[in-house]
Amino acid sequence: MQSMELPLVLFTVLSQAAVGMVLMSAVRGFAGHESGSARNEWTLVAGLMGLGIAASLFHLGHPLEAYRALAHLEKAWLSREVLAAGAFLALAAGAAAVGGGRGALLWGAMLAGLATVVASGMTYAPPAFPALNNALPTVFFLISAVVLGAGFANWFAGPGSQALLARICATALVTGLVVRLAVPCVWLSGGEVMRLSGLAWLGSPLYWASIAVLAACLGVLWKNRTIPVWLPILALLGELAGRAAFFAETVHTAVNIGNLY
Amino acid sequence: MKKHYAFLVDSEKCIGCFTCAMACRNYYHQVEGVVWRHVYPLGEGIYPHRERAFFSLACNHCENPACLNVCPVEAYTKREEDGVVVHHQEKCIGCGNCIRSCPYGAPVYNPVEKRAEKCSLCHERLDAGLLPACVQSCPTGALKLVDLATMEPGNEIQFPAGFPRNEKVNPSTRFIMPKVPTLVRR
Repeated sequence: MQSMELPLVLFTVLSQAAVGMVLMSAVRGFAGHESGSARNEWTLVAGLMGLGIAASLFHLGHPLEAYRALAHLEKAWLSREVLAAGAFLALAAGAAAVGGGRGALLWGAMLAGLATVVASGMTYAPPAFPALNNALPTVFFLISAVVLGAGFANWFAGPGSQALLARICATALVTGLVVRLAVPCVWLSGGEVMRLSGLAWLGSPLYWASIAVLAACLGVLWKNRTIPVWLPILALLGELAGRAAFFAETVHTAVNIGNLY
Repeated sequence: MKKHYAFLVDSEKCIGCFTCAMACRNYYHQVEGVVWRHVYPLGEGIYPHRERAFFSLACNHCENPACLNVCPVEAYTKREEDGVVVHHQEKCIGCGNCIRSCPYGAPVYNPVEKRAEKCSLCHERLDAGLLPACVQSCPTGALKLVDLATMEPGNEIQFPAGFPRNEKVNPSTRFIMPKVPTLVRR
């Protein structure tokens, strides 16, 4: 088991919640539904991303030099992630200031948000983790964005949007549960380090807590057909547990040097 | 052709004495818990004999280094003249991205400096015409410095069992595998 990387857990989950809320705002716009309180909604979007970025600074040995992380945009996905997250925060804060994001502001925030999620997915898919050195981190992160985005957006949605958001949230939860349950089982058939990752995930209380919490969220949605006010908080806790397992339990290739791969 | 320095690890000669790792430590005085060179015993799945065999490994000074590619502050450079991958610690912000990304676990976190660090192939010694501290200290000649640009092909291999196969980063270290020990029956 490696470090849980709590600042990164908070940054990735909170930033994805913020991006998901913007995606849901766009979906509601396409469906012709009006937002209940656009200023408050965008304030929460900016707040979540701001909190995530602030949390990520605690991961650095020298947080005051964080601005220099933009220096290697040419190759480093971490530099691109910082740029995209910064742009998203600026756009979300701008939208909150003008009373809600529409038109170019919404499209800009959506593109910057998707770029943040993809850049995060690439950053946390390094060659040292064979189990994650693929599209899986991006898939996990997009699913988290939709689950949390639909959940939190429901706080601000008019009555006409609530059934739509509940359906989106339920679909993302089902997809997320299937992916999360299948992936470690698939890893068991891979190379030695991938197999060790699968075993570590399946033996992790954090992983099972995440599955249990997200399954409970799905059960509540199934029963109610709407998203209760407290459900996004529960889903957030489930996502945080799952992300902690993602960082702590995935096995690094170097741990097996001298043995079969 | 430009020089491309690399370590040649001869596991037939290595006796697992850790002199290389101690020489590295003696030369650089890393803080407690920070180790640039490790001596890994080969597991029974790879070398199933009563005799033991080892890989002495530090940074592989890869052709396409993961650490250099992922570093957001450009704290890594690869020297044009000899291919040595150098970490400029004063530029590092301690994000740990290189540590997570290197498949060989070469960069490590220095908890005092709060920045990463790794083997530099003793480039300052190379520039002075000296061998790296680990190579100079090896009592059996199991660890050598070679120039991949001029090395005659022999029985060296790049990806032996027990060493992560990552062709994309293309590690420079080469290995000579241990022979099967002779069994003497009475």
